[in-house]
Amino acid sequence: MQQKTITVVIDQNGDSSVDLEGFAGQGCEKALKDFQGEDRVKLQRRKAAFYSHISDLRDQRLKSGS
Amino acid sequence: MSAYGEFATIMCEERFLVEGLSNMGYHVEVSSQGAALVGYQGDERPEKAHVIIRRAHLDSASNDIGFARGTDGRFRAILSEYDRSIGYSDQWLGKVQQHYKESQTLAVAKAKGYIFRGKEVVQTPNGPQIRLQFVAR
Repeated sequence: MQQKTITVVIDQNGDSSVDLEGFAGQGCEKALKDFQGEDRVKLQRRKAAFYSHISDLRDQRLKSGS
Repeated sequence: MSAYGEFATIMCEERFLVEGLSNMGYHVEVSSQGAALVGYQGDERPEKAHVIIRRAHLDSASNDIGFARGTDGRFRAILSEYDRSIGYSDQWLGKVQQHYKESQTLAVAKAKGYIFRGKEVVQTPNGPQIRLQFVAR
């Protein structure tokens, strides 16, 4: 099982970015929210890994005929 | 699944502001009701603040630097033009926010059960970045 890692980068102005790896489902949203706290969202997106995960699931379904 | 977010820090928790300033080496005074700031000549100024760095801990000609909590709960800095000109500029305020955010992130991560894996300070052309790494249980 892939380790779930969180990298927080705080820049010279005190603004931050949060990078999540290895999370699944609602755990991903929760972790992002945990590290956001009261801060204002400037940008939020799912990374390419998220879409490849969706694509893998679709391929598996096609192969199994479900 | 992976995600990425960028956030603008909002300073609204006193303890992280106090901790951040202390980590920067400042002696900080806290007043729940707000205390008057004192000018460089020892004169009491009309501005009040809830978190204060007294001028005795700053430059000899400095005024007190204050952080006042607004009605929206956010802390805002009160700085004289003189103090801005001798280095307590927007860049310095950015550093205060950086230390605030570091304290807040470490405390929140601990409270939420994330495991701290390390801190790295990376020098960039724009200034130092703090990188904190955690893993989820």
